[in-house]
Formats: sequence, structure tokens, C-alpha cells
Amino acid sequence: MPQKYYVYISLSLVAITLGFLMAVQFRVSGDYNIGIPRENTQELSQELKQLKSNNKNLQAELSDLKIKLKQVNAGQAQAVQALKSELKKGRMAAGMVTVTGPGVEVILDNPKSSEHSQSNTLFIIRDQDLLKVINELRGAGAEALSINGERIIATSEVRYAGSFINVNTKRIVPPYQVLAVGDPQALEHALAIPGGLRDYLGNLGIKVKIKKHEELTVPAYFKENNFKYAKSM
Amino acid sequence: MRKTAFITLAAACVLIGFFISAQFKESAELQMQQESLNFARPKSLKVKIESAREENDKLHEKVKHYRSELDKAAAGPELANLKQEVDTVRAFAGLTELKGPGIKVTLNDSQENLSPGDNPNLYILHDEDVLRVLNELKAAGAEALSMNEHRITALTEVRCIGPTVLINKNVRLSPPFVIKAIGDSNTLYNSLTMKGGVIDKLKFWGIEISLKKESSLAIPPYEGGMNFDYARPTQ
Repeated sequence: MPQKYYVYISLSLVAITLGFLMAVQFRVSGDYNIGIPRENTQELSQELKQLKSNNKNLQAELSDLKIKLKQVNAGQAQAVQALKSELKKGRMAAGMVTVTGPGVEVILDNPKSSEHSQSNTLFIIRDQDLLKVINELRGAGAEALSINGERIIATSEVRYAGSFINVNTKRIVPPYQVLAVGDPQALEHALAIPGGLRDYLGNLGIKVKIKKHEELTVPAYFKENNFKYAKSM
Repeated sequence: MRKTAFITLAAACVLIGFFISAQFKESAELQMQQESLNFARPKSLKVKIESAREENDKLHEKVKHYRSELDKAAAGPELANLKQEVDTVRAFAGLTELKGPGIKVTLNDSQENLSPGDNPNLYILHDEDVLRVLNELKAAGAEALSMNEHRITALTEVRCIGPTVLINKNVRLSPPFVIKAIGDSNTLYNSLTMKGGVIDKLKFWGIEISLKKESSLAIPPYEGGMNFDYARPTQ
């Protein structure tokens, strides 16, 4: 009889091991399909790149602030200097300083009226088109923007007022010249990629010229800026 | 009997051996799969993005802290004016939290049931729509704007990435989008609700919009730094 038990014991052992293996097998197969689709890879790496550059920017800001804090504590004269430098930086970020740097110049013009039937509004550059151009350039890392000499700040609108487009409540007329300071390659690419804005506007009959510049100057926002409603906390 | 037991055991061993080897092979293959481009990359990217985002938040906290330290340290009557100026300029640049009256706009994708043949693309919010609402508010004199608690600055773009929207280069937002604007709440309200305006157009597609005038709104500061890589003050 002990021999029979022996068989039973070994058989049950085998069964247990088998069960265990099967369980593991199933779990592994289950994991198999959980994942992120491949299409995301490009977006994700782009996102990571942006985050890293943002981190770099913040790091630079931090070390700058640390230096200024030391200066402020060193004495009155140094403190004035530190605050002045901070002021300059703030003014630049607010768009209150004329800036120079590499970038692109985008010129958009309505086609001559003789080329198309006169009153076809489809062939006229709308406020939305300019908004899109600016939006693309921002997305490509533009650091300063202007349209026909009007600096784009946080509260700048690009909007029809009657039959003209207003920027900073100032009327602008075609041809529209958009200036952007930033990486010229990236800025140009953002507009010129196949199926991008240049193609889209070009198909509507709008003439789009993109020129890279090693140096261009974007004017400051000139108007007196006062908040009537917003208060610092 | 003894013989049968041996045979059973031998058979069981073979079976186990087979399973173990199969298991190992499978695991090895999976390992490779996981390391292949279309599987491991997004996963490790997610982890990296998460840690980069955390670092971002930490750095921003530190920057805020040092800015206020700087303000505190810079005491004395001589510096008071200068400090005031710095504060004003920072507010314009979107670097400080602002408070004031205004409106809150909530936008959401259409919840309507589509009939077959309808283009679903028309019934969801696009970057253009959001851009237009922001632009309309700016035109109506908004002094400060935010979307889902992220400040809209001079360089804020709005881009559709699938069903989500990306702003300020790396901030991913998903609907509903809550836009807050400080300014004259009546003017802001009317600019959006006028006949043939932005809201009329969006409502046509069933996009859900709600507007609320607020007597006091808080708009958060921009989380990024203010260093420029390309632009420099003109000499």
C-alpha cells in the first residue's frame, strides 16, 4: 500500500507544480497587452524634451535669484543693482523691452483682386489665420513676437474690428509682417511642414513668405499698461 | 506497481521540464518585447516625464520662494519704489498671482448623440476654438487669463494633441476646459455672448459652454522661468 501513496503524492506534487506554472503563464500573458500605443512615442519624447528645457530655464532662474539675494544682503548699493537687474528681466518677460535675436519673418499678403473675383472673402486673410500663425510660432518656441510692429504681449488680441484687423487695439493693414525671435530652423519648420499652415494658407490663395534671419528686432510694447481690475495678492 | 510509479514520475518530470523551458522561453521573449521600441520606450518615457514634471514643480516652488525672499530682503525706503516697479512688471509678465472680478468660462466636448454619418470631429473642441475664446476675451480687455489653473502668457500656445490640449509647451489639459479671465465681467460676458459670436458658433455643434460672472477670481502665476535663449535686449 505505501507504494500507492507514493504515486499519489508524486502525482499531486506534479499537479501543484503544473498549476503554479500555468498561473504564472497566464499572468505573464495578461501583462502582455497592457502598454502604451506606439503612436505616442513621438509626442511623449517631445513632451520630455520640453520639460527638460523648462527645467533648465527654471534652474537658470533659480541661480540668478540666488545671486541677487546675496547681492541684496551685501549692501544698499548692491541691493539697488540686484533689483534693477530683476526689473530688467521682468520688463523683458512682459514684452516691455525691444529685443534682438535670430528668428523668422513671415509675410502674408492677400492675392491681387484681379486674380480672383473681387469680393471673395475666402481669399482674404482673416484674424483667425494670423492667430494660427502666431500660435504655431509660439508652439515652436518663439520668445518674442510682433505683427506689423505691434508687440504681442499676454493680453494682445488679433481681431476684426469692422473690416480691419486690430492688434493691441491698433488697426493693421496687409501685407502682414509677423516677426518672431527664436530658433529660426524650428520656427520655419513649424510653418513649412507639409500640410502645415503655409500649405493651408497657400491653398486659400494667400501668399506666404517665410524668411530666416540671423538677426531681427522685435519692438517693445509701448502703451502705458495699467491693470484696473487685477490686483496682486 | 513500482514500475507504474516510475513511469508516471518520469512522465511528470518530462512534462514539468517542458513547461519550465516553455516558461523561460516565453519570459525571454517578453523581455525582448518589452525592450523593443514600441513597448519599452513609451513606458520609460512616461517614467522620465513624471520625474521631470516633479522636478519642474519643485524648481518652481523654489523660484517662488527665492523671489519672495528677495523682496523681503530688499527692505528700506530707497528700495521701496524699485520693489514696487518690480512687482508691477512681474504682474504684467504673468509671474505673480492676481485677483479680481471677471468671468469663468467652461468648455466641454459635445455630449450629443451623433447620427450615423456625422463627422465626430466637428463635435469636439479644437485648439482653434479655445484660441478664439481666449482672443475674444483679450479683445474685451481681459487683464489676466488662465486655463485649467495654468497662466496664459504672451508665449502661450494652444495645441490639440489627440483628445487633449497642450499649452505652455508641456502642460497637458483635458476637457472640461475652465478659462478664467480678470476684467470687467459684463464686457467680458457680452463679448462672448453677442449674436454671431464665438459662443453661437460653438453651440451650433453642441459644444457645451457655461459662463459665470465672478466678483473675485484668482489667477495663478506662470510656472516656467523667464530666461531667454535667443532674444536679448536691443542695444
